Amino acid sequence: MLRLRSLSAAATFGAPFVVLLTLWAVLVPYFEVNPRLFPPLLAVVQAGLESIGDGTLLQHIGASLLRVLVGTAIALVLAIPLGIAMGVSPLVSTFLTPLFRFFSVLAGIAWIPIATLWFGYGFGAITFVIFNAVFFIVTYNTLLGVSTIPRPVRNAAASLGAGPWAMLTEVLLPGALPNIVTGIRTGLGFAWRGLIAAEMIATNVGLGYMLFVARDFYKTEVIVLGMIVIGVLWLLLDRLILAPLERRTIERWGMVQRA
Amino acid sequence: MTALLHLWGGYVRLTARWPVIATLVPFMPVLALWWFVTAIEVFPRVFLPGPADVARSFAALMYKGILPDYLQDSVVRLAVGAFWGTVLGIPLGLLIGLSQRAHTALWPLLLFFQAIGDIAWLAILVIWFGYGLVTMTFVIVYTVIFPVVLNTVLGVRSIPVNMHRAALSLGASRLRIVWEVVLPGALPNIITGLRNGLGYGWRALIAAEIIVGTSGIGFMMFDARRAGSVVEILLGMIILGILWYIVDNWILAPIERATGQRWGLVTR
Repeated sequence: MLRLRSLSAAATFGAPFVVLLTLWAVLVPYFEVNPRLFPPLLAVVQAGLESIGDGTLLQHIGASLLRVLVGTAIALVLAIPLGIAMGVSPLVSTFLTPLFRFFSVLAGIAWIPIATLWFGYGFGAITFVIFNAVFFIVTYNTLLGVSTIPRPVRNAAASLGAGPWAMLTEVLLPGALPNIVTGIRTGLGFAWRGLIAAEMIATNVGLGYMLFVARDFYKTEVIVLGMIVIGVLWLLLDRLILAPLERRTIERWGMVQRA
Repeated sequence: MTALLHLWGGYVRLTARWPVIATLVPFMPVLALWWFVTAIEVFPRVFLPGPADVARSFAALMYKGILPDYLQDSVVRLAVGAFWGTVLGIPLGLLIGLSQRAHTALWPLLLFFQAIGDIAWLAILVIWFGYGLVTMTFVIVYTVIFPVVLNTVLGVRSIPVNMHRAALSLGASRLRIVWEVVLPGALPNIITGLRNGLGYGWRALIAAEIIVGTSGIGFMMFDARRAGSVVEILLGMIILGILWYIVDNWILAPIERATGQRWGLVTR
């Protein structure tokens, strides 16, 4: 019964896409749209099969994902401890909040020109852009999360004899976790856009690069293929990893926020 | 120690009277550090110029009139994009929120097209519309519209059914229900959506100006990068940050708060 229901839910979710694809397959050849302006469905499928066949698509996807992974990992390792350290003291956190808001506004794309100058075109510059997009937003959210933990909760833990380490792992970190995860999700959303923009400018492999080179040769089928891949990848990343992570963290730890 | 506490107390009193000070003072140590690092030349000056250089280039560009022009271009583009994004987004959101059929048909498509992201459209937009205002407006509208639609739907759906029923039983027509129940009820969410959308739109604008630009702050930064002039890149970043801070903090956030207070009661 449950399987049947989830099956029909998937069908209603998928139906609009089937309609859209059918329209695409029928209308584009019917009106004889110039393939340089918009490609027919078959050409895109063909381009997809071709690029999977010779391995270039996987290469681009791999390069893009690796950059996101490295940039995000470095950012998280630095941002969470820093955010907690700053959030512990209300004085420090109110003092520094405007600063981090300012930099999280700048995060990502605005750093591309200077990143390419500092690191040259390539892996370094792009990873730096992603690092930036994630780092400031996560730090700011961690700081916010720690400073919203009610004072009595921390006092209670302290009066029960919690040392600094126990305080960190059992009060501060769990209390700030919902905010941290939300920060990661927002930050990655910006990082993903920054990645595509940076790859258009500053590299020779990756999904953004694939789009931009295709544009130079008016290969619209490759552009559309790239757009679909970017959309699907982000949907998978967001819906299968980030959203469930956020939901579960909030369900598990969220009560601490407003005790 | 007591002297320090006195100092801190004075600072707190001062910021309570003028909140702007609390925003500005934290930047002083950063500026000082920046100045110090460049003064002892940890990095070559070409790579990291000091605050004085940036201020000088700000004055020069203001004097030449380049900066005001570019700033105007960027802000106008954002405003035009935000206008069309709202005008198209709110009715679409109302439709999807009110009609189950429209929801089934359009919701999955919305999620997918939102995931594609504005910047990925740039390549094909350049082929369609060339390098120009249409391309940039399209990108910003595309970016603004999704958060507005998604949040409007959320707002519409969070209005209790009893509100509809009450209005109906008092003899309201469908149009009046939309105008007097649904729209005000969804307004706090709509404004939140607009604020998020503009945040994304702002970044998309910068990317568009960098990649396809012929003018604007993003273009200025990328042009400076081509010429290897870090001063102007830094200047551009600072202006972008300040501008968005002003727009978000002094315009969007108060509007959001005000609508929340005025109409927020309806949502749970």
